[in-house]
Amino acid sequence: MDHNATSATNTGSAVTGGHIHPPPDTFIKKYVFSLDHKVIAVQYFITGGLFFILAGLLAELMRAQLSGPNNHVLSVATYNQAYSVHGSAMVWLVIIPLLTGGFGNLVMPLQIGARDVAFPWLNMISFWLFPPAGILLFASFLYGAPEAGWTEYPPITLQMPFGTSMWCLAIFLIGISATITGLNFLVTIVKMRAPGMTYTRMPLFVWATATTAFLSMIATANLSAALAGLFIARTFHVPFYDVAKGGAPVLWQHVFWFYSHPAVYIMILPAFGLVSEIIPTFVRRPIFGYKMIAYSSAAIGLLSFMVWAHHMFTSGLEHWEQFLFMILTMTIAVPTGIKVFSWVATLWGGKIRLDSPLLFVLGFLSTFTFGGFTGILLASVPVDIHEHASYFVVAHLHYVLFGGSVFGIFAGMYYWWPKMTGRLLDERLAKWHFWLMFISFNATFLPMHWIGLLGMPRRVATYDPVYASTNLFVSISAFVLGASMLLFLYNALRSARKGEVAGPNPWGARTLEWMIPSPAPYYNFKDIPIVLSGPYDYGKPLPYANISQELATVPMH
Amino acid sequence: MRQERSGPLLDAGFWRAVIVMGIISAVLMYVVVVFPITRFLPEASSVSVPIDKLFRFCWFFGVPILVYVNGMMIYFAIRYRHRPDDPMDAVGSQIHDNRALEAAWTIGPAVLMVALAVFSYFIIPMYYPTGQAAASAVTMEAIGHKWYFEFRYPGLKQSVMNVMHLPVGVPVTLDITSAEATDDVLTGAVLHSFWVPEFRLKQDMIPGMVVPIHFTPTEVGTYRIICSEFCGQGHSHMWGSVVVDSKPDFDRWYAAQQHAAAAPAAAINLAGGDAAAGQTLFNAKCTVCHNAAPFAQRKVGPGLAGLFNDPAHPNLVNGQKATPQNVAGILQHGAHGTMGVMPDMQANGLTPSDIANLVAFLKTLH
Repeated sequence: MDHNATSATNTGSAVTGGHIHPPPDTFIKKYVFSLDHKVIAVQYFITGGLFFILAGLLAELMRAQLSGPNNHVLSVATYNQAYSVHGSAMVWLVIIPLLTGGFGNLVMPLQIGARDVAFPWLNMISFWLFPPAGILLFASFLYGAPEAGWTEYPPITLQMPFGTSMWCLAIFLIGISATITGLNFLVTIVKMRAPGMTYTRMPLFVWATATTAFLSMIATANLSAALAGLFIARTFHVPFYDVAKGGAPVLWQHVFWFYSHPAVYIMILPAFGLVSEIIPTFVRRPIFGYKMIAYSSAAIGLLSFMVWAHHMFTSGLEHWEQFLFMILTMTIAVPTGIKVFSWVATLWGGKIRLDSPLLFVLGFLSTFTFGGFTGILLASVPVDIHEHASYFVVAHLHYVLFGGSVFGIFAGMYYWWPKMTGRLLDERLAKWHFWLMFISFNATFLPMHWIGLLGMPRRVATYDPVYASTNLFVSISAFVLGASMLLFLYNALRSARKGEVAGPNPWGARTLEWMIPSPAPYYNFKDIPIVLSGPYDYGKPLPYANISQELATVPMH
Repeated sequence: MRQERSGPLLDAGFWRAVIVMGIISAVLMYVVVVFPITRFLPEASSVSVPIDKLFRFCWFFGVPILVYVNGMMIYFAIRYRHRPDDPMDAVGSQIHDNRALEAAWTIGPAVLMVALAVFSYFIIPMYYPTGQAAASAVTMEAIGHKWYFEFRYPGLKQSVMNVMHLPVGVPVTLDITSAEATDDVLTGAVLHSFWVPEFRLKQDMIPGMVVPIHFTPTEVGTYRIICSEFCGQGHSHMWGSVVVDSKPDFDRWYAAQQHAAAAPAAAINLAGGDAAAGQTLFNAKCTVCHNAAPFAQRKVGPGLAGLFNDPAHPNLVNGQKATPQNVAGILQHGAHGTMGVMPDMQANGLTPSDIANLVAFLKTLH
């Protein structure tokens, strides 16, 4: 092991080079209580994937119940529990852990040329808070799971059985995990970039991860406060939310959304980041407007703290408050629009390879833009007063969280799978997966806008028979959507046995994670690379010195 | 690399695509304008029409954005695809950015957002009672219960359950709140929401908070009231109706309601009221709406300390002087006035001796 990277340059951050530790030698240290960011990422993917399956099955149960009016597939209470746990699990046990814990851990340290995150031990703790949180949440079914949705508005949540307390504890744990990860990632990005990697030479996924880490660190503390309040109110009857004793139910809504609106961006910014990586790679040209994309991430991050009450336009705010939050919310459309337009402009004049990661990204662009547009409708107070708490909102949130985050997760999965495992996924199956998922996704959620506008409220176990045929169509589409996930599962298992060996850089990308073997060795970089310019200049020589081998940046296929 | 594939970005093919997408946008924008929304969901209140206009305005500018984002994406993906005879290492245009283009797609959406905000700004006050409109409106109350709606009308002593009648064309201010079955939030109060899709009107019913909503019903008909905030087991079925009547029909309905309530009642005998029993009763039933504190400390109703001696108290809600006998009368018959509605003894579950005890207790509050 050589040490020559340390003295190479001091243009970058303080912590460079250093030395290489020997890899762990026992099974437990290697795969269970691992300190290696790449192993922890895989642990996040497997755990989050399992919860994705469970929470997805809950969604299919809900659609079975809603396939006709006055169905009795589930009892009313069980149906309420199903959607509450589905929502909570998808937000806190699937999207946030997969995007931050999974992709953040797998990719970010590699992209900045670091050997690990700043605090590997904290990273391990962050992960190990995650499975207990998930088990607590799903075990709440045994003690009367929460029924009031993922938002758990009091006072009704004060009147529910013990499962709601378990929900508080579960989300509290995952909140601590997210706070620690945010701190860890932010320190890593600020202090551990390779020499020469200035902030404006960072890959855009790193920019997105830095903003997300900041949000996780600051916002999640508010969630913890709200949850502690709910738990204390339930357990010790401290009347935080009790009108008769001087509390207020709306207090919860303010504190909850003060976290949960930034959380929307915790769930979408990393997806924005990986979209910004995948597009230049498959379009074979520099990303259009690097700086605007990077700075708009930061702008969205800051604005996200100032818009929470747009979830509360029917909660009795003053007019001026409604107007203020409406304006601030609409402001977010501007940086988000900049990103979308820049991505589309990057396609202009490229040499586009429509491989599966890019297909999922294009699907993301299409569905997320639509979800963003319905978000603007919901930002307008008078329109929101009609649409609030209807199926229109259910449709909108699935367009941004499924059409945005989950499409992003799959795009990232297909893109970085070779780096994670050393093998390629089958491209034909991947394309089938994409088209089946894209079409059934739209068939599931597009009609919900319509029945919502006509007057179907959310969180109901049954509905007026006039919505019957639309709901049946939605349910069938939802079953196809669920089935399409099996294609990915099969593809993943298949690649372990039959997958083509990927080599270090199958897509011909230029960011640092592709400059090392796949899967990445324990120490990531034998020598810490030196960064000479930005990462997206396709057609020019690689902007790195000190990488151990000369790598071609030509795609395999 | 063949020449025509790496030519200038602004070539004839590009402009053809721009024009095709322009035509598609124009057709869809026209559809937005002429779309018969009211065939699917009638516009039945004074706020429905402006909201639908705002809604269409959003789609009007949204449609071209959606068409161009999706259309350009598809066009570029096909037009600039890597073809089998392209070299493996072929790369695309080396343009990094374009100030003018970036300025356009920053300023353009910002201008649209300002327009939308201004448009919305003029509609928001239509929901809320202010000035003249509020003064001329009839004020009534809507209260959410598990799992039904209760309505209180001025001059009606008993509440109307679940089916609300409104006269067409008369401005209404609806004071919206949620019931607190007991003073203990652990067993009783929950959120509800009052939603009438045809009115384009929704307001959460929040325990301890009264939110006035202002509108005028404009179309005769029967519309469903839907609870849209989760409130427990009965939430899925928590439906009420609002019947918008012509003025004569409404008056007939109202007269019938009054007639049903017109039962003569004897005055309460206040002698022997027990203040201690009254205090227990007050804590159980009255603290939901009233503080045992000076007048200005309002909850749903005013604070009741010093009711009989503090000059801060104006006359009673029915205009009478605040004497023990008149207060007992309000407790007995209920009242409606500018400050709100006080339910009668039946609605509050009070007996004559309860009222005597309550008045005795109120006398002790200085």
